[in-house]
Amino acid sequence: MFREKYRSMNEQISPDQKLINKIINSVDGPKRETNKAKIIFRKPIIIMAMLMVLVLTATPVLSANVPAVYELMYLVSPTVAQFFMPVQKSWENNGIKMEVVSAYIHNDTAEVYITMQDLIGERVDETTDLYDSYSVNRPFDSSATCQRVGYDEPTKTATFLISITEWGNKKIVGDKITFSVRAFISDKHTYNEIPIAVDLTSIDNTPSTKQVSRSGGGGRKYKEYFPNSESKAKVLVPTVPMKFPVEGIDFTGIGYVDCMLHIQTSVMDNLTKDNHGYFFLSDKNGNKIQCDYNVGFVENFDSDDRVDYEEYVFDIPQSEIGQYSLYGTFVTSGLFTEGNWQVTFPLEEIKNN
Amino acid sequence: MEQQSLRTNDFLENAVKAYSNMVYRLAFSQTRNKSDADDIYQEVFLRYIKKMPLFETEEHRKAWLIRVTVNCCKKMWTSSWYKKIASLDEITTFEMKEETNLHYELQKLPMKYRAVIHLFYYEDLNIEEISKALNQKPSTIRTQLTRARYRLKEILKEDYDV
Repeated sequence: MFREKYRSMNEQISPDQKLINKIINSVDGPKRETNKAKIIFRKPIIIMAMLMVLVLTATPVLSANVPAVYELMYLVSPTVAQFFMPVQKSWENNGIKMEVVSAYIHNDTAEVYITMQDLIGERVDETTDLYDSYSVNRPFDSSATCQRVGYDEPTKTATFLISITEWGNKKIVGDKITFSVRAFISDKHTYNEIPIAVDLTSIDNTPSTKQVSRSGGGGRKYKEYFPNSESKAKVLVPTVPMKFPVEGIDFTGIGYVDCMLHIQTSVMDNLTKDNHGYFFLSDKNGNKIQCDYNVGFVENFDSDDRVDYEEYVFDIPQSEIGQYSLYGTFVTSGLFTEGNWQVTFPLEEIKNN
Repeated sequence: MEQQSLRTNDFLENAVKAYSNMVYRLAFSQTRNKSDADDIYQEVFLRYIKKMPLFETEEHRKAWLIRVTVNCCKKMWTSSWYKKIASLDEITTFEMKEETNLHYELQKLPMKYRAVIHLFYYEDLNIEEISKALNQKPSTIRTQLTRARYRLKEILKEDYDV
């Protein structure tokens, strides 16, 4: 219903024909950029300010940790390490310096090494994760991945390798790129395949349930259970957190719903943590059984009391559940650091010969 | 099949005509007033004419225009000039009272959510397509869309099924 009303409202919005004609006429018109350039350069104070910003922020900085990064480059990708060109442009904010150390541009791919260094504390550690808070601004369509490749304890510097691929097999050279980071998480703890002490033989098969809108989900049968984006999920009504071995994740429910085992966890204020994980069942022979699907939902959206829930559902009959044990793997983080770090640098291809 | 002119000017003109409504509506969806949408519209197409970017497909051209429109809006909101001015209340009316009310209700939606809502509900782009157009990760777009829809539900209450 919203979609129809929104569509109908927008159909009534159009640019004025005079405005369209003005733009079309400008196709043949004088070059606007010449006038703009003149206006800008009439103001010496602007030039001075721009120069100051450039000197203070974008001047190449030779830092003590650069050799360590080069060693790392040879370790991570020895065959191409020699092709990486130094960039060494840095940006400092909130006591943390982000530096673009080097880049290797070839065909439709740009690989860039960046470092994050905490100059005043210990917020950057060997678990530092940029999760989805980084962005790459490019004038053309591209996709990017980011992985942490190293950490230098003495200088408290984490090194990341960013790989950007231009779409359409287009050459990536001859332009510039802006890499920016808004936040990162650190002090992460991993709980790998830990046993969860729950008596699976005495699970409530009449728990309270409710219908919720999904915020996400997954699993091999997820699409079978939720063929369209609108369908709601039947989940357990969260209970008071029960005993659970993972700090930062609450165990808020377990029960049989429609002959399927539901297990629920929650995380308070997870936007600043990204705590997550999954459960699996293990039979007596050690075979792992993953959940059939999992769904996420949110309570108190957009408030300080926001809670993110995750519910894992296994299609195992209750009569057989006693043959299994419950395990889980979880990752939690203790520190969330916000800031504004961005570096713009040119993309120049290296000639191999 | 319609023949495409090889003259650069004709080509630019055709692109302006083809994407005028899309750019203007996206700009309006974010500014929610016509005078700002006019400015954004001009800025986007002047950039397009000045830069004359080459695209392999129409999808890429559309994505470029979407991204530039959204960036121009962000640039306008963060400009020191815009922060200092007080915009005049513009009266915008639509054919139906419900639509006019919806327009004013949408002014309560935070700026950061307006683009994803418009691209999802009006341009019918899926999360993957929005993420490509805005050069953001799909998970980021999914989160933004979820938050935006929750916020819309709060704003519109029971009046609409979002």
